[in-house]
Amino acid sequence: MAKEEIKGDVGKLTFEQAIKELTGIVGKIEQGEIALGDSLQQYEKGMALIKQCRKILQDAEKRIEKIAAEQDGGKQ
Amino acid sequence: MASEQVKIYTVGQVTTLIKTTLENGLPGRLTVRGEISDWRPHSSGHCYFSLKDEGAVLPCVMWGSNFKKVKFKPENGLAVFATGNVDVYEPQGKYQFYVDRMEPAGVGALQLAFEQLVKRLAAQGLFDEAHKKPLPKYPRRIGVLTSESGAAIDDIKKSIFDRWPCVLCLYPVPVQGEGAAEKIASAIKDVNRRNDKLKLDILIVGRGGGSLEDLWAFNEEVLARAIYDSKIPIISAVGHEIDTTIADLVADARASTPTKAGVVAVPDAREVLEKLSSAQSRLTGDIESVIELAEQRLQTVCASAAFRNPILQVHNRQQQLDEMGSNLEELIVDMLTDARERLNGYYEQVVRLEPHRLIGRKMVEVNELTSRANAAVSVLLGRAGLLLTAQENRLAGLNPRTVLKRGYSITTLKQTGMVLKNASQVQMGDTLVTELAENLIESKVIKK
Repeated sequence: MAKEEIKGDVGKLTFEQAIKELTGIVGKIEQGEIALGDSLQQYEKGMALIKQCRKILQDAEKRIEKIAAEQDGGKQ
Repeated sequence: MASEQVKIYTVGQVTTLIKTTLENGLPGRLTVRGEISDWRPHSSGHCYFSLKDEGAVLPCVMWGSNFKKVKFKPENGLAVFATGNVDVYEPQGKYQFYVDRMEPAGVGALQLAFEQLVKRLAAQGLFDEAHKKPLPKYPRRIGVLTSESGAAIDDIKKSIFDRWPCVLCLYPVPVQGEGAAEKIASAIKDVNRRNDKLKLDILIVGRGGGSLEDLWAFNEEVLARAIYDSKIPIISAVGHEIDTTIADLVADARASTPTKAGVVAVPDAREVLEKLSSAQSRLTGDIESVIELAEQRLQTVCASAAFRNPILQVHNRQQQLDEMGSNLEELIVDMLTDARERLNGYYEQVVRLEPHRLIGRKMVEVNELTSRANAAVSVLLGRAGLLLTAQENRLAGLNPRTVLKRGYSITTLKQTGMVLKNASQVQMGDTLVTELAENLIESKVIKK
């Protein structure tokens, strides 16, 4: 269950959020600030975040869209 | 009188004569070099001023329609070349120079205008570092405001896509010529207004290199203000390395050319991936050492005495338990003995009080009180009986039947049962009922 939750949460993050969280996790584990049980969970989450970041990069398209000006002069 | 030989002119005629003389005697258009003085712009848009040099002053007018095309801001003391024609202003009887073009005499008009605007906008804080917005590190959607046909869009596209996958949104705008600055400015406002849907992280505003005139749109105040007011961070990417425009100064970040836009706007995906890999290996290394450490601690604990001979611990506890059990037994026996002794003590105390005698004495007292109470109640009842009989007799005297017993009677009309108090209540022959103390009499009215 916990694992599924991690995956679900991570899947919704933006690249920026994921990187930020990943940086936090690496820092915490490096400084030995967390208990063993938590650290395993954090490790799993860190790995999921890395996967998510790579996925976002791979999924991102190089695409050009054209924006048309608002017809009515901006009155929505 | 001499008046007959001398021709008399009206004011209008003289003025027309002067006008014609001026028109004939002066070139139709001329360019004058002079220093601006007494500069008076009017709210109508027309400007009134004078051009002067060491010894002379020339009154000037410039209509608003012509003044709009002047890029720099005229001010007192500025040396200019003014082009136009001289004519008479009849209502005031003076000649004046109608200026339709004006250029600074020193530096070029555009250069001067640029310098003036930089000074003015800087004083208003438009270039302040504090106002510049940070660019998002990993943009997903980038808006590009440039010409659809220019080289800039390809340069920008390549410079971004070479580094980073994302969506570029092109908003085509003219980048030079009349009205270009206004169109770019309104495009910036338009994009900002719709950004809850467009979701742009960054805007890039730019064009390729050109002359100062070509780049002029990026030096206009209207565009500078639109960039300043934008909620979306803006990168300006105008012209070549050496060109600096006002857009560059006011934008949140500057790319020296459109080809550098990518470096400013987006990170390099390769570097980001490398960082991810290093984060991954650090994370793995870290978790391994955490586990190793935990294992070591576990081993230390396992090596402790308790784990080496666990059965001894159990036996020790059992012994403790046994000791506590026998202590408990002794304690309970003591408590029971103590309680029994105390109970015997209480029993003897009660026996000494001889309770049956106490009860006998109390019984005698109760009986005595009972007969006293009964006697008191009989007296009260007798008194009440007498009172009652007296009232009964008084009440009996009030009964109408008692009155009948004294010989009175009540007469009623039989038909209606009405009690008769007056002879007029009856007719001859009516049947009457008379109620006596005992029984009734019926009779007929024979006289009244």
